[in-house]
Amino acid sequence: MKPWFSWRRAVTILRKESLDALRDRRTLLMILLPPLFAGPLFLMLIFSLIASQSERVQTPALAVQGSMHAPALIAFLERQQVTLKHLPDDYENQIRRGRIDVALIIPETFPDDVAAGRAASVQLIYDRSRDRAQVTIAQMEYLLTAYGKEWGKLRLLLRGIAPEVAAPLKIEAVNLATPQQSGALILSLVAFYALFATLTGGMAVALDASAGERERQSLQPLLITPAQPFEIVAGKWAAAATVNVFVVALTLAGFYLTLRFAPLPAVGMPFLFGLMEVGRFSITLLPMALLLPALHFYVGIRGRSVREAQASTSALLLLFSLLPIAQMFLQYREPDWIAAVPVAGHYALLTRALRGEMLSNIDIVWVYAVPLALLLLVLIAAAQRLNKEARL
Amino acid sequence: MIELTHLSKRFGKHGEIHAVADVSFRAPSGQITGLLGPNGAGKTTLLRMLSTLLIPDEGHARVAGFDAVTDRHQVRCHIGVLSDARGLYPRLSTVENIAYFGSLYGLTGRALNERIAFLLETLDMQALAHRKTEGFSQGERMKVAIARALIHDPPVILLDEPTNGLDVTSVRLLRGFLRALRDQGKCLIFSSHVMSEVATLCDTIMVLNHGRLIAQGTADDFRRKTAQASLEDAFFALLEGDETKRGAA
Repeated sequence: MKPWFSWRRAVTILRKESLDALRDRRTLLMILLPPLFAGPLFLMLIFSLIASQSERVQTPALAVQGSMHAPALIAFLERQQVTLKHLPDDYENQIRRGRIDVALIIPETFPDDVAAGRAASVQLIYDRSRDRAQVTIAQMEYLLTAYGKEWGKLRLLLRGIAPEVAAPLKIEAVNLATPQQSGALILSLVAFYALFATLTGGMAVALDASAGERERQSLQPLLITPAQPFEIVAGKWAAAATVNVFVVALTLAGFYLTLRFAPLPAVGMPFLFGLMEVGRFSITLLPMALLLPALHFYVGIRGRSVREAQASTSALLLLFSLLPIAQMFLQYREPDWIAAVPVAGHYALLTRALRGEMLSNIDIVWVYAVPLALLLLVLIAAAQRLNKEARL
Repeated sequence: MIELTHLSKRFGKHGEIHAVADVSFRAPSGQITGLLGPNGAGKTTLLRMLSTLLIPDEGHARVAGFDAVTDRHQVRCHIGVLSDARGLYPRLSTVENIAYFGSLYGLTGRALNERIAFLLETLDMQALAHRKTEGFSQGERMKVAIARALIHDPPVILLDEPTNGLDVTSVRLLRGFLRALRDQGKCLIFSSHVMSEVATLCDTIMVLNHGRLIAQGTADDFRRKTAQASLEDAFFALLEGDETKRGAA
C-alpha cells in the first residue's frame, strides 16, 4: 500500500524550493530590503517628527503685529520664553504654507479699550488644519487665556475682592498615561508594520511555488512522480514559512537595533522596545508567520498565473491594512475574546505588549490555537486541490 | 506492458464530448507502440489516463501490472512520462533539475549520480550539465525533460508528441535513444499526428479518430489494407473511411 506521508520526499521538496528561492536574487532583494531599510527609516521619520514638535513646544514662535500697543502683554509673553517675530504683510499666505504657526495682531484701539475698562480684543490667527501647528496653537491660546486671568485677578484685588470669587473651580490636571503608554501610541505603527511583515515576507516564495509552478508547466510532471499531494504542499509551505519567519525576525531585529543604537534625535519619551518586547512580539507573530504562507500557497494553487494569484491576495492585503486601522481609531479597549480573532487579536496583543503589559496564558493559547487550526485546514484544502488537479 | 480494456472518458457538463471511447489494446514490452491521430483524436487524454492524471469513466488500464486507478502510486513509480507540459525550473541547473526528480523517486547518493551521468552521456548533454536551464533551446529543454522523466529507469515510457518543435538533429538523436530503450525491453508509447514519424519508429500503430481506435497494425498493413502507395495517403484513407462510417451511423 502507498505510504501516506514520506518525510524524505517532503524534505526533498523543501530543499529544492529553498534553493530555488535563494537563486532568485532579485526577488530576494525585494523581500529583504523592507525589513533592513524601511523599518529603521520609518522610525527615523517618526522620531524627527516628534523632535521637531517638541522643539516647537520648547521655544514656540509667535509673529506679532502692533506690539507697541500692549507692552505689558509682550513682556508677559517674553517671560514665558516665547520667541517674538515681526508679522510680515502676507502673513495669511505664510500661515497656510506653514512658515508661520500662529500670528497675533494687537489693534491700535487696544490701549484705549484698556483705559476705558472695556474688554480689549486681540486677534489670534492660525490654520487649525495643520497638524504640526496644533501644539503651538494650543500653547498660545493657553498663554493668552492665562494672561487674561492674571489680569482679571489683579483687577479684582484692586477692588478688594478675593480672586477665588471669580474662579470657584480650580483644575488640577493629572495625566494618568505612563510615559510608556504615550510612547506606545506611536509605536502602534511598529506593531502594524511587524504584522504586515508576516503577510508580505513569504508571499513571493509561496506564489512562485504554486502559481509559478503551474505557469512554468512544471506542475504536471511533478504530480506524476510518487510525491503525494500533501508532501508537495507541506514541503513548499515549509520553504515559504521559513523565509517568512526569517523576514519577520529581521524586521523585529531592525526595529530593535534602530531604537537601541541608531543616533535618533533626543525625544524626552521612553520608547520601550527592548528584548522583552521583541520576545513578546515574536511569540505573538509566530503563528501568523506560519499561517500566511499557507494561505498564499492556497490562493496560488487556485490561480492560473502568478499575476492572477497576486491579484487575489490583495483581498488579504486589505484585511491586514483595514483591521488594525479600525482598531487604532477604536476608543475602547478591545474585549478579551479579540485574541481569538486572527489579525485583530494579534494586533491587539502587540499593542498591549508595547504598553508594557504581560501577555496572559489564555491570550497566548487563543493567538496560537486559531491560526494553527486554520493552517492545518488550509494545507489540507491545498493538498485536496492538488489531488483534484491530478484527477480532472 | 500496458493493457487497456474498454477505456472511456467523457468531458463537458453533460459528458457530451467523448474524448476517448471504448478503446482496448495491448502494448507489449520491447516494442514501441505509436498513437496516431489528428489533433483532438484523444491521444493526450488517453496518455493522461495512463499516467494516472485522469480517472477513466469506464474501463480499466493496467500499467506495468498495476491498475491505473486503484494502484496509482505503484503505477507512478513504474512510468516515465514526457507529457505536453514539460516545464523546467529555470533557476536550477540541468543536473539539479534531474536530481530533484530522482530524489522524489527515492534515488540518492551514488546511484543517483551514476544514473544522471549515464543520461547526460546518452543524450549528449554533458556541456549543459551545470548550466541553468533558463534560456535553453527547445531541443535542450526536451533533452532535460526526457532525462528527468527517465531518471528512475522506468519499465514503461509514455511520450506525448515528443518531437514537437525539435530540429532534425535532435529528432534523430531522440529516435536512436528510443530504439535503444526498446531493445532493453521497455514498453514505449509514442504519440504523434505525423504519419511518417510514427511509421519510422513504431512497431505497432494505433490509429485514433474522435476518441475511437479505428485501426491497428504496422505501416505495411495499412498500405495493403487501403491499397495506397504512400503512408500519408494510407492514413488519410483510414480517416476518410471512418468519417463515412460515422456519417452513415
